[in-house]
Amino acid sequence: MNKKELFEKFHEIATHPETLMKRYIDEGKPVVLVAPVYTPEEIIHSMGCVPMGAWGADIQLNEAKRYFPAFICSIVQSILELGMKGVYKGASALVVPSLCDSLKCLGENWKYGVKDIPFIPMTYPQNRKPGYGHAFTKAGYERLISDLEKAAGKTFDDGALGESIRVYNDHNQAMRDFATIASKHPEVSASERSDVFKSATFMEKSEHTKLVRELIAYITEEEPAKSGTRILISGILADSPALNDIIDELGFTIAADDVAAQSRQYTVDAPDKAGNESNLDALVNKFCNMDNCSVLYDPDKKRVNMITNKAAFAEAQGVVVILTKFCDPEEFDYPLIKKACDERGLPCVLIEVDRQMENMEQARTMLQALKEMI
Amino acid sequence: MYTLGIDIGSTTSKCVILRDGKEIVAKSLVVAGTGTKGPKQSYEEVLSAAGLNESDIAFIMATGYGRTTFEKMNGEMSELSCHGKGVFFANPGCRTIIDIGGQDAKVISLTDSGSISNFVMNDKCAAGTGRFLDVMAGILMIGVEELEEYALRSASPVSISSTCTVFAESEVISQLSKNVNKDDLVAGICGSVASRVAALAKRAGIKEEVFMSGGVAQNGGVRAALSKELGVDVKYTDDAQYMGALGAAIAAFHEIDKGLQSGTDH
Ligand code: SF4
Repeated sequence: MNKKELFEKFHEIATHPETLMKRYIDEGKPVVLVAPVYTPEEIIHSMGCVPMGAWGADIQLNEAKRYFPAFICSIVQSILELGMKGVYKGASALVVPSLCDSLKCLGENWKYGVKDIPFIPMTYPQNRKPGYGHAFTKAGYERLISDLEKAAGKTFDDGALGESIRVYNDHNQAMRDFATIASKHPEVSASERSDVFKSATFMEKSEHTKLVRELIAYITEEEPAKSGTRILISGILADSPALNDIIDELGFTIAADDVAAQSRQYTVDAPDKAGNESNLDALVNKFCNMDNCSVLYDPDKKRVNMITNKAAFAEAQGVVVILTKFCDPEEFDYPLIKKACDERGLPCVLIEVDRQMENMEQARTMLQALKEMI
Repeated sequence: MYTLGIDIGSTTSKCVILRDGKEIVAKSLVVAGTGTKGPKQSYEEVLSAAGLNESDIAFIMATGYGRTTFEKMNGEMSELSCHGKGVFFANPGCRTIIDIGGQDAKVISLTDSGSISNFVMNDKCAAGTGRFLDVMAGILMIGVEELEEYALRSASPVSISSTCTVFAESEVISQLSKNVNKDDLVAGICGSVASRVAALAKRAGIKEEVFMSGGVAQNGGVRAALSKELGVDVKYTDDAQYMGALGAAIAAFHEIDKGLQSGTDH
């Protein structure tokens, strides 16, 4: 495949995950849906299943309203909507981590709304760093394993987990390398960049790593285009085609991101196991080592400085916070991010999005004003 | 040299012609916004008021919600930047602009040199916008321009929800059925817009002098309620509705100036 074909492939996967899902099921690989964020996909992968991201979709909500109030994030609402409409039919289970209040409600509603796909909770501790945080996380993983054994009819093996950890660490590195190279090559548009990240949530990771590596090789050979106005984007999601088109039309270059569905999830690898630790212990350490995310409890909010430092490192001239409407973890962090950006003279704008947004004109005006400010 | 700014909003179209980026030569306002004949009519009216032809205009800058649709434009700029330029040009002491338009509200913070340091816009909701006042005036069967007169007569404004236009509408209807004094009801409606916009303004940070721009600025009821909510004097000028178009005409002048300095021709 040449570069253009690779981008087309990423786009196809990002926009039609159902085709991929059918292929995996036809190949005899059970598909396990994973809701955002930080589901231990390595465990699912090691058990011979394919974890596929369930981050919802830009659709109108009808069915989900039977269970959810209007004032709740549209990611969880649209996951339930897709489930109730039968779009995920054939999946063996849905795993939902407990990292925000909306996600907690999703699992409970799913049990009633979607009877044919079992819901598996993944309960994480608030305090990850102390020993009891590790023990709690490990107990959560063990529960996940036993639930998965029942739902997908597969067995767990710690040696196989070691191999899956390697696959996931490789993929993390490939995604970090892609973000770095895309930052240096402004000809990679926001839409193309988004497709590469979005396809990663659906595709089996060793397959995806291979494609991303091929793409990186092509981009590396090219002479970088002239940079547009450089921005750092932050938020949970940044996959709206209309918003990415506006970013491209206005001549922005995404210098870096702190987006949960993009780079944020690829920052921490599972470490090597130490002494007589199991691979499962290594995976527990991965989660406990994580930081810098709105849904990971941190009284010091180190994330805020991480964002401004990342912006400075990537030579971003502004920060765009893409806030998923009614996402309280992100809403709590925004004033701190804004203040830190103001202190550093870094223009920062807030764009509120949801999965039912049909008109992006206000976002266009705000982004255009940001560009005019810079 | 003449430059023209056109501000195509959701409900009105405004034009301003400037001479040498300094002096307002003519302005026009047509109550019909984007997607109507309003922009064209406003454009023709301003040219005729200035006694100029299209060929006399060196640069046309479009702004406002319909800014990308005006065929004759040479460039387009966001209404946030244009309101900033326009208000600062007319009132150099201004540091905070509260702009309430037909379908949105914005708060813009300016630096001492007039550039934008921060801005916030309301979310997608008619509450706290001109549209809210239109709906309420409709229920009360009075003209929007009369709202001020009613509000300023009120001794004890009733409290009206600022969260949602639909809720507020039913509140107003129930107040009407209780025969509440219309002056107090209108003052409550103006207060509702003010409290919604004041929350937005506090998010951006208030620094004096505070000016209102946009169509709702003409409503003394909202201005008074806003001054009270924010605890500062909220000022306005008669030309408040033209600030976007004025800013666009200034930006158009800067474009020409930039071109002259770098040797490019427009
Ligand atoms: S977007 Fe926010 S509220 Fe929604 S699932 Fe993610 S963290 Fe929770």
